[in-house]
Amino acid sequence: MEHLRRPWPAAHALGRRRALTAPVAAGALVRLLAERLEVDLRHLWTDEDTVEYQVDAARAHDVLRTLRDDEDLAFFMLADAGAVDYGTGERFEVVYHLFSWKHPSWLRIRARVDRADPRVPTITDLWEGAMFHEREMYDMMGIVFEGNRDLRRIYMSPDYRSFPHRKDFVLPDDAADSAAAGVLPLERPETWDLTRFNQAPDVTFPPSDLREDAPAEAVEDGETLGDKSRPR
Amino acid sequence: MTKIDPETRIPDPIELDRIEEDRLRAVAGLAPMRSPGGEYAGFDQVGIPDRPPQTEREREIYAIEEGEMLINMGPQHPSTHGVMRLLVKVRGEIVVDIDPVLGYLHRGIEKLCENATYTTVLTYVDPMDYLSTMHNEHAPAIAFEKLYGVRPPKRAEYIRALVVELNRVFSHGLMMGFLALDMGGLTPILYAFINRDEIVDLLSAISGQRMLFNFFRVGGVNFDTNDEFLSRLGTWRSNVMKNIEMNERMITDNEIFRARTIDMGTLSGQDAISLGVTGPNLRASGVPFDVRRAHPYSIYNELEFDVITQPGGDSYARYLQRIAEIKQSIHLIDQIIDKMPHGPVQAQVPGIIRPKPGRAYAAIESPRGLYSVYAISDGGPNPYRFRMRDPSFISLQAMPKLMPGRLVADTMAIMASLDPVMGGVDK
Amino acid sequence: MAVDRPSNTSPEPMPPAGDGPIIIPDQARDDESLRQFGMEEHPQGGFHGLLEVIPTKADYVLDLIRANSLWPLLSGLSCCAIEMMSTATSVNDIDRFGMFPFRASPRQADVLIVAGTLTTKMAGPLVRLWEQMPEPKWCVAMGTCTTSGGRFKRSYSVVQGVDRVMPVDVYVPGCPPRPEGLIYGMMKLHELVKERRGQWSTYVDRGPQRTRWEGDVR
Repeated sequence: MEHLRRPWPAAHALGRRRALTAPVAAGALVRLLAERLEVDLRHLWTDEDTVEYQVDAARAHDVLRTLRDDEDLAFFMLADAGAVDYGTGERFEVVYHLFSWKHPSWLRIRARVDRADPRVPTITDLWEGAMFHEREMYDMMGIVFEGNRDLRRIYMSPDYRSFPHRKDFVLPDDAADSAAAGVLPLERPETWDLTRFNQAPDVTFPPSDLREDAPAEAVEDGETLGDKSRPR
Repeated sequence: MTKIDPETRIPDPIELDRIEEDRLRAVAGLAPMRSPGGEYAGFDQVGIPDRPPQTEREREIYAIEEGEMLINMGPQHPSTHGVMRLLVKVRGEIVVDIDPVLGYLHRGIEKLCENATYTTVLTYVDPMDYLSTMHNEHAPAIAFEKLYGVRPPKRAEYIRALVVELNRVFSHGLMMGFLALDMGGLTPILYAFINRDEIVDLLSAISGQRMLFNFFRVGGVNFDTNDEFLSRLGTWRSNVMKNIEMNERMITDNEIFRARTIDMGTLSGQDAISLGVTGPNLRASGVPFDVRRAHPYSIYNELEFDVITQPGGDSYARYLQRIAEIKQSIHLIDQIIDKMPHGPVQAQVPGIIRPKPGRAYAAIESPRGLYSVYAISDGGPNPYRFRMRDPSFISLQAMPKLMPGRLVADTMAIMASLDPVMGGVDK
Repeated sequence: MAVDRPSNTSPEPMPPAGDGPIIIPDQARDDESLRQFGMEEHPQGGFHGLLEVIPTKADYVLDLIRANSLWPLLSGLSCCAIEMMSTATSVNDIDRFGMFPFRASPRQADVLIVAGTLTTKMAGPLVRLWEQMPEPKWCVAMGTCTTSGGRFKRSYSVVQGVDRVMPVDVYVPGCPPRPEGLIYGMMKLHELVKERRGQWSTYVDRGPQRTRWEGDVR
């Protein structure tokens, strides 16, 4: 049967990764964070390629400023800023991902935001590119960024009233059933004006002006009827 | 000859339509169609906002001085980047300020993905950045593999890298075509589309679809290479350098092209990093940041390629950067074809995966920049949160920095050199 | 010649002889879809083409001219726009059907090929474009997103099919449709043009209108 075996190992033998365990990968980064930011090592979580740290919303701005400006940390690039909703009664989280030449891992900062009063200081003074991120987080989650010069909706219409990425905005099988469905008129069939299809047509082909038996148009005083291409 | 009083205002056609509409409404017994606010108009009347300005930046934009105009480059315009609305404040022909209005293509993909299984998510993200579909799928595939703890087989990684680099080649080729098209050159776009059609037929031989290839799976790719794919790949490879050089020769030394792109839209490296611009736009400003080298993923550690930068930072540099990257990608494709191992193309992964609760972040280099996915799993069949960071979305913030001081006609040229794709911008 | 028809419908009556407009009755009179618009009794019920005059040779030639020179409006919204552009460029060429100039201005266009997902924010501008196009005009819904919402079926911001906001003549399914598929759709549109669909007799012209949304304060 040797000749029937495939020359490569079977797929299931490729194996799963080892379970993610103790902080192993980014020793230098972990030490630096403990020193410069006074981070308790128990609050750090590491992965194969990411070091994660949770902060409160109020401290997020200072933490990010230190991370950016410190020479040894040097997290000069904001790779991503997103928001997560953990459900009604729970918290929001604003998650920042940072990159530095000096450390091999991504750094993930999770800022806990109170769901009842979601306010976070803005980081647009650190990275201008955070403006669109923060506008998107405001639009989709309703998180208010204090100090942001341009906090308005970016994806939805300015008069939209819901926050789609929240967990209580549900997309059921029929979108018409969701709690926030039909906020805009187009989403609600009952607002479509179908009466314009009911009315009898008052134009026929050829246009009545060109027929020989067309009645003379009554022109009111002072009114210009220059365009006779269709009845007015 | 009758004297025409120079003070006479000739109402413009939009006003005539409104007069007509008001007359019809009066005949029908309805109130005239005016906003009750008086000074605020609707979407249709540009120059006057439709509600009081709510933010500082809005107040800046709507503060029109003597000699300035607000012009709407509306969601439908001939520039082929999709639907984006630009409120351009001009003084004469010179742009003073610009405000992009997005969201005309917002499809709610992130929300839909929370109700879909992990494999279905890979199909939902296809139409985001529709010119680089393989990249759109690559990042979530890596993130879900991190969550689930599976590593795709080597052959699958090589096929992934192959199709991803092919995608990069035609995406950059299309950018060159669109850049010339936005400046009025109608020929290079035809060549770019011939180029794209060749590669897309190639990719359809392996994935079955011309554009929104549903090719990646958690744990590998869907199909292995077949004879048609390999024969088309060979044909394509033997023609591509000649075609790229022909396309290049058409545009690169063209004096109109050079006059319209050199020293236009200069973006310094510091500004680019602050704005979050990544990808070829950042490398054209001199910063050698490439995710494939900075934080390697897939098999890029085993392939040799250079991180090319351009010193200029203007539109011409961004164009040259993309040509250089096309050549790099072809070099990468050669190495991949040489080194591709035998083996399975998909790890044994169940159809509906339920990864353990956790978080994963995966970033890749897409033709527009750093495309990343942050996925949170709660142990169920659907991701708890699926967040995508699209590079074109962030690169658009460079526009209010680059446009002011330029002519209106340069607006589109600069935007084309940044190469945004509205599907990704609006998710 | 046995024709398959349901037994509860009567066979079509003969058109009256002599003068007067020749009204060729349409099976749409019995159609369910007329009821929701209240158009069962309407003399020109339905959206199907009803001819009030017999087309002459000149009309036939005019239709042929219109069909072979349909100018599309550049309204590419999303991924289907790239396939539309691919249809328009060298490999699959719709220039041979006369559709080379993709007009930027709706005033000069004949066909609105809605290529790409229509979202609620874009629906307003798109309907405005449609209303600005002069008669005769046709609409092609390209791709599944415009046919029915497509892969974004449950989304909160996607209009589930462009026929919710404007009348569509040809639906081209696919995600995205292959260029050959779009060309097939165009051939179907040529047939429709030649059968005089979208002409004045089936459209009520009310002058400049503005689509009114509920709750609109403007």
